[in-house]
Amino acid sequence: MVEVGDKVIGYSTDPGVRNKGASGGLVTAILAAALEKGLVEEVVVLKHINEYEAIPIITSDVEDVLASAGSMHTVPVNLAKYAVGKNVAMPGKPCDIRGVIEQAKRNEVNIDNTYLIGLNCGGTMYPVQTQEMLVNMYDIDPEDVTGENIEKGNLIFRTKSGEEKGISIDELEEAGYGRRLSCRFCDVKIPVNADLACGNWGVIGELTGNATFCEVMNEKGVRLLENAIEAGYIEIEPASEKAIAIREKVNNVMLSMGEKWSEKVFTEIPDKERTQYYMEQFADCINCGACKEVCPACTCGEDSKCTMYHNLEDNYRMSMFHMVRLMHLSDSCIGCGQCTDVCPADIPVTTIFRRFADKSQKKYNYKAGMTLERPPFLEVMPR
Amino acid sequence: MKMAENQQWEPKIVAFCCNWCSYGGADTAGMGRFQQPASLRIIRVMCSGRIDPLHVFNAFLEGADAVLVTGCHLGDCHYVNGNYKTQVRYDFMEDMVRELGLEPERLHLSWISASEGEKFANFVREVTEQVRKLGPSTLKPEGVN
Repeated sequence: MVEVGDKVIGYSTDPGVRNKGASGGLVTAILAAALEKGLVEEVVVLKHINEYEAIPIITSDVEDVLASAGSMHTVPVNLAKYAVGKNVAMPGKPCDIRGVIEQAKRNEVNIDNTYLIGLNCGGTMYPVQTQEMLVNMYDIDPEDVTGENIEKGNLIFRTKSGEEKGISIDELEEAGYGRRLSCRFCDVKIPVNADLACGNWGVIGELTGNATFCEVMNEKGVRLLENAIEAGYIEIEPASEKAIAIREKVNNVMLSMGEKWSEKVFTEIPDKERTQYYMEQFADCINCGACKEVCPACTCGEDSKCTMYHNLEDNYRMSMFHMVRLMHLSDSCIGCGQCTDVCPADIPVTTIFRRFADKSQKKYNYKAGMTLERPPFLEVMPR
Repeated sequence: MKMAENQQWEPKIVAFCCNWCSYGGADTAGMGRFQQPASLRIIRVMCSGRIDPLHVFNAFLEGADAVLVTGCHLGDCHYVNGNYKTQVRYDFMEDMVRELGLEPERLHLSWISASEGEKFANFVREVTEQVRKLGPSTLKPEGVN
């Protein structure tokens, strides 16, 4: 049977799911099986509204799970907090999974009965900006789009007439479109922190586009896969050497792209000007607290130090709110970009937090949200 | 000293001292009549492990030019391992002070026992000298001298 470390290629046995779901509907089928066979009580999925928008829902209805099939690159929402306090199975980007693991470290999620299916991720995009991009760059009416995909560094859109058009991501980003900034410098593309790491990278030959490459990361992943096989929902076969090599290659290309971006974004600011820089950035803060509210690594709730000890009058320069959050996130920031997305004052919050977090996490050889290892700040003895 | 003259700037230094060792050290420094500058404001805490980064950064935001974190020598903690916890936290605070663009000389960690009055006085003197050269902290709020 399935073992930890196995790399397989699989697809759904249900032809309906297979055609609708991206890459053979493997993930959808596994989620549906987990729900039907009682492995979990609920599943977190995205409910489609249109091609560009979807809302995360927690459901125990298999129909909802099957309806959610298909990939969405234009839903930049972090699912981590939907898993809090429930027995769920959840598909997610690497940053969703990192969020759940950070929540688990803070006792908000029982990781033993939370099943995580990771999806390879090259980045997400803003829905409104994407529609604008379709008109300006692709010359496609946003209403005509039926699907999208990121392949070999190209962003490909499929239209109703079956036509496909791809433009390289580099080109799009130079024109001011493309992925969100935090996705560009993200350094986890294959979700090796999840129970199953799935994606279409490495699916070759006649199966291209109709199957999913899946790596089993741990015992929970074995349970998920075996459960789905026993229920007759999926079929799997071992991945070939060539497939594994290609997946690795795609991953490396994406990672080196990320590195280039992080060099571009994180330019060194001279020591003398740094205080001024941070003060200027934070000067627009209106103390709405949204960045704290959406953060998948925050679990303090309402009685948190950052809101308790800061002076509202001081908020526009550097205040305790910013100080405590900079400190707090320097070992737990996962770089998901949610805080920048919700900031009403357009402060580049994620970039600022990453400036602190990157250095600390590198120094302690610790990457937030990748394993259940305790954050270095909570250690009793110096490492 | 010529302090009163047109309110010339003098460094303000906040020192967090643990009740069992470094606060005793400060006491000994006084009893031994070791000369030390008047720039210091001592805050006594029961253990250096109680010092939250919050306290340190609040001191900076309230106008401190430097902050000293002091405690018992490693292994001598009254609460077994409080000062090891301080050390872990201090590492993070140090990184953050640098990243914020403050000079590393503005934050110090020192282990001082109750009998080391001279060490305490020398430490304060050295830090005051360093900070005087650096000038006021850039995090100082407007209107605070």
